Amino acid sequence: MTTVPAIEQPATERSAAVPTAAGRPRRRSHSRRAGTPYAFLAPAIVLFVAFLGAPIVYAAYLSLRKVKVSGLGLGSGSRTEIWAGLSNYARSLTDPEFLPSVGRIGAYGLIVVPVMLGLALLFALLLDAGRTKVGGFTRTAIFLPYAVPAVVASLLWGFLYLPRVSPINDVLEGIGVGSPNLLGSSWILYAVANIAVWGGTGFNMIVLYTALKAIPQDMYEAARLDGATEVQIAWRIKIPIIAPSMVMTFVFSLIATLQVFAEPMTLRPLSNTISSTWTPLMKVYRDAFTRDDIYSAAATSVIIALATFALSFGFLKLVGSRAFRQED
Amino acid sequence: MKKALVGVFAASLLLLASGCSGSDDSDTGSDAGGKVDLTYWTWTPNMDKVVETWNAANPNIHVTVNKQDGGDPAVTKLLTAIKAGSGAPDVMQAEYQKVPTLVSADALADIKDEAGSLKDKFPESNWNSVTLGGDSVYAVPQDNAPLMFFYRKDVFDKLKIAAPKTWDDYAAAAKKIHAANAKQYLGTFSATDAGLFTGLAQQAGASWWGINGDTWSVNINDAATQKVAGYWGGLVQEGSILNTPMYTPEWNAALNDGTQVGWVSAVWAPGVLEGNAASTKGKWAAAPMPQWDTAAPKTGNWGGSATAVTTQSKHPKQAAQFIQWLNTDPAAIKLLASTANVYPATIDSSAALTSPPAFFADQADFYTLASDAAKIGNPFTYGPNVNVAYSAFNDAFGKAAESKQSAQFTAALATMQTQTVDDMKNSGFKVAG
Amino acid sequence: MAVLVKKRSSTATILLLLGALYCLAPVLWVLVAASKSSTELFSTFTFAPSTHLFDNIADLSNYRDGLYWRWMANTALYAGVGALASTFVSAMAGFALAKFQFPGKSVVFNMVLAGVLVPGVILAIPQYLLLAKVGMTNSYWSVLLPSIISPYGIYLARIFAAAAIPNEVLEASRVDGAGDWRTFVTVVLPMMRSGLVTVFLFQFVAVWNNFMLPYIMLGNDKLFPITVGLSGLLNQGAQQPSMYTSVVTGALLSIVPLIALFLALQRYWQVDLASGAVKG
Repeated sequence: MTTVPAIEQPATERSAAVPTAAGRPRRRSHSRRAGTPYAFLAPAIVLFVAFLGAPIVYAAYLSLRKVKVSGLGLGSGSRTEIWAGLSNYARSLTDPEFLPSVGRIGAYGLIVVPVMLGLALLFALLLDAGRTKVGGFTRTAIFLPYAVPAVVASLLWGFLYLPRVSPINDVLEGIGVGSPNLLGSSWILYAVANIAVWGGTGFNMIVLYTALKAIPQDMYEAARLDGATEVQIAWRIKIPIIAPSMVMTFVFSLIATLQVFAEPMTLRPLSNTISSTWTPLMKVYRDAFTRDDIYSAAATSVIIALATFALSFGFLKLVGSRAFRQED
Repeated sequence: MKKALVGVFAASLLLLASGCSGSDDSDTGSDAGGKVDLTYWTWTPNMDKVVETWNAANPNIHVTVNKQDGGDPAVTKLLTAIKAGSGAPDVMQAEYQKVPTLVSADALADIKDEAGSLKDKFPESNWNSVTLGGDSVYAVPQDNAPLMFFYRKDVFDKLKIAAPKTWDDYAAAAKKIHAANAKQYLGTFSATDAGLFTGLAQQAGASWWGINGDTWSVNINDAATQKVAGYWGGLVQEGSILNTPMYTPEWNAALNDGTQVGWVSAVWAPGVLEGNAASTKGKWAAAPMPQWDTAAPKTGNWGGSATAVTTQSKHPKQAAQFIQWLNTDPAAIKLLASTANVYPATIDSSAALTSPPAFFADQADFYTLASDAAKIGNPFTYGPNVNVAYSAFNDAFGKAAESKQSAQFTAALATMQTQTVDDMKNSGFKVAG
Repeated sequence: MAVLVKKRSSTATILLLLGALYCLAPVLWVLVAASKSSTELFSTFTFAPSTHLFDNIADLSNYRDGLYWRWMANTALYAGVGALASTFVSAMAGFALAKFQFPGKSVVFNMVLAGVLVPGVILAIPQYLLLAKVGMTNSYWSVLLPSIISPYGIYLARIFAAAAIPNEVLEASRVDGAGDWRTFVTVVLPMMRSGLVTVFLFQFVAVWNNFMLPYIMLGNDKLFPITVGLSGLLNQGAQQPSMYTSVVTGALLSIVPLIALFLALQRYWQVDLASGAVKG
């Protein structure tokens, strides 16, 4: 690696044997100093250190601390902060509510990710096939929920779920299914998952649709001339080509799953079935705010962050994707 | 380590080439003229209008109201600000049950020099809540919220039921109403309202925390609370009352369409009913609480709050002066009662409460009932981690309510007790039992 | 390409319309619900519209001297200014990462990737504690500044820069004697334009969506964005009547500008998450 910044080749062109800048006599302009890339990066690095780096380090530090009360703990000076070693981590991992909450987001993820991405892929392929007049309208309509903040979306769905005011129940009753309590213990997971699916399908659909649009049409021509159906084309040509995009949508959906928070938090006051530790992040929130124990909250945060890293990178390694790597 | 980190953080902020002045509305300070600016966190509606009167009369102590979402979020924010070392207001509304938590976090300033003389203006129970039984004064009581019973008089009359005098009467009435109309219920057990359940336990004679020397005791799972939990669990199990939370759109709908025909609530209930079920105006009546023992009638509280000066205030004297005016001056009391719909804690509030609330216009004795109720409040000690106990209540009783099993209700108390004690021990409190 | 006559497929049409219905139904519901008076909200059929929309908007506008509109303006400020600044910072960083070789590059890039994975909820508390130490909480800055850094935005900008800017163009600009900064402003930014619109929209939605950060940072409700304000209206606490009509009306009004923005910028919207990075 040289210390003089050199213009990097985009990976997409590397295989093509086009003569490149490196082949020509290079004129060293005075403006091209070694500091240039750093100057471009400076604002990002400063902000990153201030608002991501420092808080993360601080959270790690807090996770090793705890408060010690003396006497009755009333009045000033009765609380001191002391080192806690790994006791916060031990408490967090042995909390009887922790494993169930992990299991819950596991089940939630198993519902949300396949359903959301399956629908997104289906809609993207239908739009791309171009065999309908309603493409423009439906594309916009399906994408629309992305514009609705999760807090507002949960509020809307919450109204729609409550048995007495729910049109969903009217419909179910109408077709003779009976009137289930959508916020009851047997439905609540699906009720929360539905909000995530509603909010996320459109976005993922656009991602996949964009990838489909980038495929040159002539790739289908031969298949069409051979009499392949649209379904066959989709399976054999389109899906394999956009597989990298699907991997990325999967990873980002996975991350979002691990971070599910706003939806259950907003629905919580409406139901008996969402506990304050329903998901791991809700436990963080409860410890930090309801229980005023930022130290345990920090420890749980660190555990969640590490789990997220392990899962995301583990998955990318598994599928051998180079998406998250540099091309050099 | 911490210093170094803050240093890095501050340095990187400085690098941001911007004139971030940290323009901060709550930054208190006094200018050359001796004028003092105070911020006041409260969730009471229209408090800004009450404060306007103070500001007009006291140009040198200007108070700005920052309306908060409610008791819990406000305390959460205050505690975070205290921990951070800045960001707290000067004056803070705090529910009585949160006072020990706030004192324990060193969030409230001792104002005994300014407010110590106000003792005689308040009921003893309220005064104890703000002094924690000691010599310090951490807040001045603002409102009192004794439990009362509210019911749809038209429905009761039609079924020829009288307002329940005992909890047995209440259970019988609940059964009768639900039997007469399968859609109607006398009440609901709400696992999201720990404050109400605490008040019911208080009425039955429980006192969940206690102090003995430098040792705390926790008695959430005592006989009185067991009795209350078992009673409500029984009603839910037999299906004569509901198990769904209050303060949901569904609950609103039930109040409006007349399927929720009773409400165990507190003196502030008329304001809530008026807002949530305006169409039922004139159909409600208020009554004293159903009793466990009619020979010794008691009640509990749901809500009620005091006004405190925070330890971060740079002008505690002026702040104390303001809260003394707010909670004891006759003009302020009148404003509190009429504009902010508060039931003042001070014992000379009768002048401000001449006519019943608009929603109960036909009930001339409303405030007589309220003041009778205020006099029979059972003593109750709150501990330094009410927040933990309440969040344990939400989770444990949520599960119990969902199961509709009476046994689960009483078992939930054991969970509350364990979680509350564990939390105190983990923080290093000495806890007996 | 020769015009290939495609058969219309009714299955495709029906499936897409069902999807659209599912996505529009709650929005339609909020539109209907916002037209009802507070009594009607819970008594009339869910999808039966009423006539009180403008009364409700007036009520909401009167709530504490038009506080709602202040929340809207704040949200526009946080999301608009925050996303613009974020896009610019991301573009610079993405350009540097895509087009230069320098020591420490892989460290920076890996940090960005790690940053993508960190949940905002976890960051909000330490961010608050640190900002409080420099006395900056409860101000516009406390929400704006943390919103500017977006690892995901940098990641996207890097992909777009790699894909959209041929090296020859940069060389040519340099041959003409333009400095790096001028090249960036006059050549790079315009070439990345449609990619940057995507980054902007992403960040705009992220800030608009963000609840936790402003919720923790702000004590003064005059500084609230719409999400925090609405949640406060919804959770009034036990002693206050609920304000469902205002909440529903507020929810409706709050999504209108976002929908308008999306429709306006739709043609720029291109999210090719993988193309720049995976090929090769």
